Amino acid sequence: MLTATDIHLSLGGRPVLNGVDFTARPGQITAIVGPNGSGKTTLLRALTGELRPRGAITLDGQDCARLPPAEMAARRAVLPQAGAVAFPFTLREVVQMGLSAGLSAARPEVVGQALRAVDLAAHADRLFQELSGGEQARGHLARALAQVWEPVVAGVPRWLFLDEPVASLDIGHQLQVMALMADYAARGGGVIAVMHDLNLTAMFAAQITLLNRGRVEAAGPPGAVLADRPLSRAYGTALRVNVTPPPGHVFVLPQTAAAV
Amino acid sequence: MVAIAHREAPPRRPGRPAPGLVMAGLALLLAVAAGVGLFQGAAETSVRAALWGEGASLRDHVIVWDIRLPRLVLGALVGAALAVSGALMQGLFRNPLADPGLVGVGAGAGLGAVLAIVLGGLLPPAVLAVAGVWTVPLAAFAGGWITTLVLYRVATRGGRTSMATMLLAGIAIAALAGALTGVMIYLADDRQLRDLTFWGLGSLAGANWAKVQAGAPLMLAVLLAAPVLARGLNGLALGEAAAHHMGIPVERVKSATILLVAAATGAAVAVSGGIGFVGIVVPHLLRLVMGPDHRGLLPAAALLGAAVLILADTLARILVAPAELPIGIVTAVLGAPVFLWILLRRRALLEV
Amino acid sequence: MRGPVVRGAAVLRGLALAVGLASVTVTATAAASEPASGPASESAMRVLSIGGAVTEIVYALGAGDRLVGRDTTSVFPPQAAALPDVGYIRRLSPEGVLSLGPELILAEEGAGPAEAVEAIEAASTPFVIIPDDPSPAGVLRKIDAVAAALDMPEAGAALSARVEAEIAAARAAVTAGQSRGQSEGIGPRRAIFLLSTAGGRLMAAGSDSSAERMLELAGARNALTGFSGYKQVSDEALIAAAPEVVVMMAGDSTPTPEALFAMPALAASPAAASRALVVMDGLALLGFGPRIGQAIRDLNAALYPAEG
Repeated sequence: MLTATDIHLSLGGRPVLNGVDFTARPGQITAIVGPNGSGKTTLLRALTGELRPRGAITLDGQDCARLPPAEMAARRAVLPQAGAVAFPFTLREVVQMGLSAGLSAARPEVVGQALRAVDLAAHADRLFQELSGGEQARGHLARALAQVWEPVVAGVPRWLFLDEPVASLDIGHQLQVMALMADYAARGGGVIAVMHDLNLTAMFAAQITLLNRGRVEAAGPPGAVLADRPLSRAYGTALRVNVTPPPGHVFVLPQTAAAV
Repeated sequence: MVAIAHREAPPRRPGRPAPGLVMAGLALLLAVAAGVGLFQGAAETSVRAALWGEGASLRDHVIVWDIRLPRLVLGALVGAALAVSGALMQGLFRNPLADPGLVGVGAGAGLGAVLAIVLGGLLPPAVLAVAGVWTVPLAAFAGGWITTLVLYRVATRGGRTSMATMLLAGIAIAALAGALTGVMIYLADDRQLRDLTFWGLGSLAGANWAKVQAGAPLMLAVLLAAPVLARGLNGLALGEAAAHHMGIPVERVKSATILLVAAATGAAVAVSGGIGFVGIVVPHLLRLVMGPDHRGLLPAAALLGAAVLILADTLARILVAPAELPIGIVTAVLGAPVFLWILLRRRALLEV
Repeated sequence: MRGPVVRGAAVLRGLALAVGLASVTVTATAAASEPASGPASESAMRVLSIGGAVTEIVYALGAGDRLVGRDTTSVFPPQAAALPDVGYIRRLSPEGVLSLGPELILAEEGAGPAEAVEAIEAASTPFVIIPDDPSPAGVLRKIDAVAAALDMPEAGAALSARVEAEIAAARAAVTAGQSRGQSEGIGPRRAIFLLSTAGGRLMAAGSDSSAERMLELAGARNALTGFSGYKQVSDEALIAAAPEVVVMMAGDSTPTPEALFAMPALAASPAAASRALVVMDGLALLGFGPRIGQAIRDLNAALYPAEG
């Protein structure tokens, strides 16, 4: 279980997080949502140890600030928002790097399995730089996945921290990747994801934290957080849930896709 | 926009040769280069007789044992050190055009050498007696180190080294060193000016066993230590954050890389002057052949750098014999067209 | 730092001329064409000569046929240019030097680098350093040292005596001209030596330069002081110096008097009024070799054309 208590953080002298409490349990997807600039990514970066905030963060009972990088790498993998890769590495080599950072490093077949999981097996030997934006995003996901391939090791859960994992994907791959996250959680792993798409969040997340200007606007199950009042307050515009638009408007919802 | 293409299999990357194969090929190339370097020279020499001590003349013995061999060893070490330093810097800055000059070691070493050449005579005679012919190499090494440490201090805040700050401060320091060098050029007499020019072009002409003994420990230590950083530099290719997430001690990798580069480049520049292009062309060529994985790239760069510098030095020795060219001219004349060719090829690759 | 050093290279080309790389007008002096007068030494038949003045002395001693190589600055007499060139005096390649199989190496002071000299000496090839002092006495010492190393004492004494006499004669003429001038109330002429005028930037000789010594030997006074060696000087300093005559070395880049005196720094000078530009062979003028007596005489004649 990941617990963050009273997190304060300033970037460049500007306060970004003002006393955020956050909890995530293994076995389910925990989503962080909120408008642009509300501190979602900063919160995730604080949780991964990339930034050093004021406040306490513990991962399965251990103080994250005290865990050495290699120990942290064995317990959680991170998918950052955009990651340009320098030098002509192949996709396979990038995923291999993730694998070698985790506990499954001795199992080379994991590289292929991770690539299959994100539907990139055919591209393994292409240069990472030559992949399209969406392919690169899935490639990084495969890398993160390979790093914590087994969701539970010796009774201790592994964690995936994902910053907008489906932002640059088409709706088909969005659903595929969300299903992948759900499967990881179902097998006992922890998944924390910064999300933009509220529909996908509603479909897959068990817990949602809604941020607004560096504070928690609402936190809890989707039914409680994705409600008219908190959403309208956070996004600064009148929003209504579960209301179909007037006749004549076309809308496509991921919820209507055949089971994935 | 993404999903359209993914089902049809794209052309596979043309297979890269196995790292073992590349390494064996490079080792062979180095052996051939060493053979050529040992057997070719301005003087007709019975190398075999001198090597096995079968009644060679004193002149041949001196040419082989005191001139060609130390020069060969020093050339191999300097070439390996420059190529590995280049690969390390490119990995650190995530840029294939980075070179050790970016951490100020070139500018600092140059300034140190220029100061020693022009103002060396002002040192107390007692110091000169001890330092002797080592005044210039020592000053170059000290200059390189001091500059690097200053830059490192400037760029490091709260335990984190900002590569961008380091780059900008490096430009400022290089400008300052350039200006001071200009002052020294103004003060220099004509002979010192000649020395300055030749120093800037680099040469292995002064190679002897004493220089090998002085430079080898540092350069060898760096060559042996560099592969330890390979995994860290691979991770850095994905960005500092990603590397951190993969358990790489990013700050330690960065500072270790900077210090190794300063040590290797400082030592190489001290014994041979400024030799350009090896540090950029060699790693770049290898990345095209074997890919960018630093675990293979760093040892391969050492082998190819050594071979290239030995061959360049052999050319420098025989092209205008009995005189010789500064080796920096040879590496630039050979390296610049190769580099342009690489750039053109690369552009074609990107534009397809 | 590479930038400034490379920029310095342009300056160096000019300076290299000053130390004797100048293209040479082909006028073999009496000394060079004279047959060997001393007994040929049995020792050291293969000699490598490093330094323009040293090579000239070897030829003047009649030992030119013993030479197997020379350095870049050795361009006089013309037959020296046909010898293998071992490179610049400060950047000798030990193997290149040994490849010529010399039995004796004569090198002007300052030859190097030290590591190369060490390696050459390790092959037990004698490496004799010839002292280099830009003065008439220094020339005689050079001749003595070269003759001693070549084991040609008699030829050395003869050459030394001849050069000494030529210097004395030249100096006598200079002094005579000076006292004549003094009686007319004219002091020594104010001259400057310009090494290069490339790009409108004037590189001139200051105090303690070999050019200044030659100007003084030839009875002129260096109008530029306050710096030593060869430096780029500002236009205003040149205007303040007000030279009566400008001395330069012969070469492809030597400007015409029209072009030179059109430069703002010199346009208002007394030298411009009389178009007083003296152009002389570089190695003869600044080499401080056996042709020094003739060089003093020539320069003096060019400086004081009326009295000539």
